[in-house]
Amino acid sequence: MRVQLAKRLLDRQIVDVDGRLVGRVDDIAFAVDDEGFPYVDSLLTGQRALGERIGGRVGRLLMAVADRFTDDPPVPPLRVPLSQVAHVDSAVRLRCRAADLPPSPVEAWLRRHLIERIPGSGRASG
Amino acid sequence: MRKLFAATLGVLSAVGGFVDIGDLVAASQAGALFGMAHTWVLLAGVVGICAYAEMAGRIAAVSGRAVFDLVRERLGPRVALLNLVASWLVTVVTLAAELGGVALALQLATRVSHLFWVPLAALAVWLVLWRLRFELMERIFGLAGLALLVFAVALVALPTDWPELGQGAWQISAAGHGWPLYWFVAVALFAAAVSPYEVFFFSSGGVEERWSAADLARARSNVLIGFPVGGFLALSLVAVATVAYHPSGVSLSTLDEVARPVATALGGAGLATAVLAFFAVTFGAALETGLSAAYAAAQYFGWQWGKRVRPREAARFHSVLLVGLLLGVVMLMTTVDPVRLTEYMLVLSAVVLPLTYLPILVVANDRGYLGDRVNGRWMNLLGAVFLLLIVAASVAAIPLAIMTGMGP
Repeated sequence: MRVQLAKRLLDRQIVDVDGRLVGRVDDIAFAVDDEGFPYVDSLLTGQRALGERIGGRVGRLLMAVADRFTDDPPVPPLRVPLSQVAHVDSAVRLRCRAADLPPSPVEAWLRRHLIERIPGSGRASG
Repeated sequence: MRKLFAATLGVLSAVGGFVDIGDLVAASQAGALFGMAHTWVLLAGVVGICAYAEMAGRIAAVSGRAVFDLVRERLGPRVALLNLVASWLVTVVTLAAELGGVALALQLATRVSHLFWVPLAALAVWLVLWRLRFELMERIFGLAGLALLVFAVALVALPTDWPELGQGAWQISAAGHGWPLYWFVAVALFAAAVSPYEVFFFSSGGVEERWSAADLARARSNVLIGFPVGGFLALSLVAVATVAYHPSGVSLSTLDEVARPVATALGGAGLATAVLAFFAVTFGAALETGLSAAYAAAQYFGWQWGKRVRPREAARFHSVLLVGLLLGVVMLMTTVDPVRLTEYMLVLSAVVLPLTYLPILVVANDRGYLGDRVNGRWMNLLGAVFLLLIVAASVAAIPLAIMTGMGP
């Protein structure tokens, strides 16, 4: 099957099996099989992957901001193995739950240091 | 009435575009200086925003993707980042102006300086965003904004010469103030009518309300009721200022002067309603812009966003929301004039408009998102014509701003 990777995958929203938003496809990681054919190994998401893709001063700034809001920089990109992708439509739908993937360090840092300290952070307003 | 209840998302989205703090003054200024000669701009703005909000709402209902999702997917990370930075700045500065507007309305009601009210207004806005259910928020502030209908009522009570008013709408003239100023006001009114945060808010609101393909009729009635109501409210502001201030050409620059004809026509009750309406529309617009800025950022990066999930699970979204509000308060505390602030922002906003509307038009034709609910031929024609108008406004914005020294 021929898939236009850049058009179908890059920059799409990644959504878990429950509809939670995991991140965007900021980059795609390739691997090479035993016979030397390259294949898509995993989707990368996170500000480091995005920053490296954008490049230049702006890209470095994005990475620096992410590193500022985390406990042990540099923040690695989250790798979503292609085997976890159920299908692709207007978003990349996963088979697994977001909780089964490693959490975003920036999200966790802001939750711990800011949002969780505000009363009512555990209840959705709806 | 039930129809109106079902359309409050559209009404609240339109309030931010047509009758927020900047427009309350800008529309009245337009009326005072040029009479009804900008009517066509408001009508064009209503048709344009209806066309694009319909597309954005349809995309949100069918695919669950909000507008900044599309911007990122279609323009790629670099150009979308440029749009994000510009839109975020414009929206946050507008948020600051709306907070200032809430404070000015409270100042009108209490005679206590608006600077005292600014932090309280920001806290109240944040509490609503933190705690109130999205649909309840949209109903309360969408409906409360309709208090602005008092301007239409005042028009009946004023000695309005209706045939002359109607004729003024057909005669496009610069009324001795020069064409550059006429066109600057036209671009400002048009850019406000199609402010990007309206479609950010409208489409994200649809996702927050879990619209599906079954809700397409609801999305459409939100568009077809909400935005024309917004346009009508703005037009009634222009008309009241026309009757009260045109052609004496008084330059009008404060909320006080905007409300004065209503007080003349309807007395104390009218003035109280007008002040309540100012409070409601600026508060509603503050909610809209505050959320929109955070929606845009979260959607660009793919973060979890929205009021449906617990704030601790959307920590980055709520952090960006907080940063926007705090920045707004800091900006106002420099004692900058909130009304002036939105005028500068409209010019910047006009320049980046195409970067938001082009992706909507492209995705509205993409079967990967919409299946067989893609645009028909007439919708594409309408979309293309308005894209041209938007590009024209975006090109003309800066030269006109320089020629007129930023307006009246």
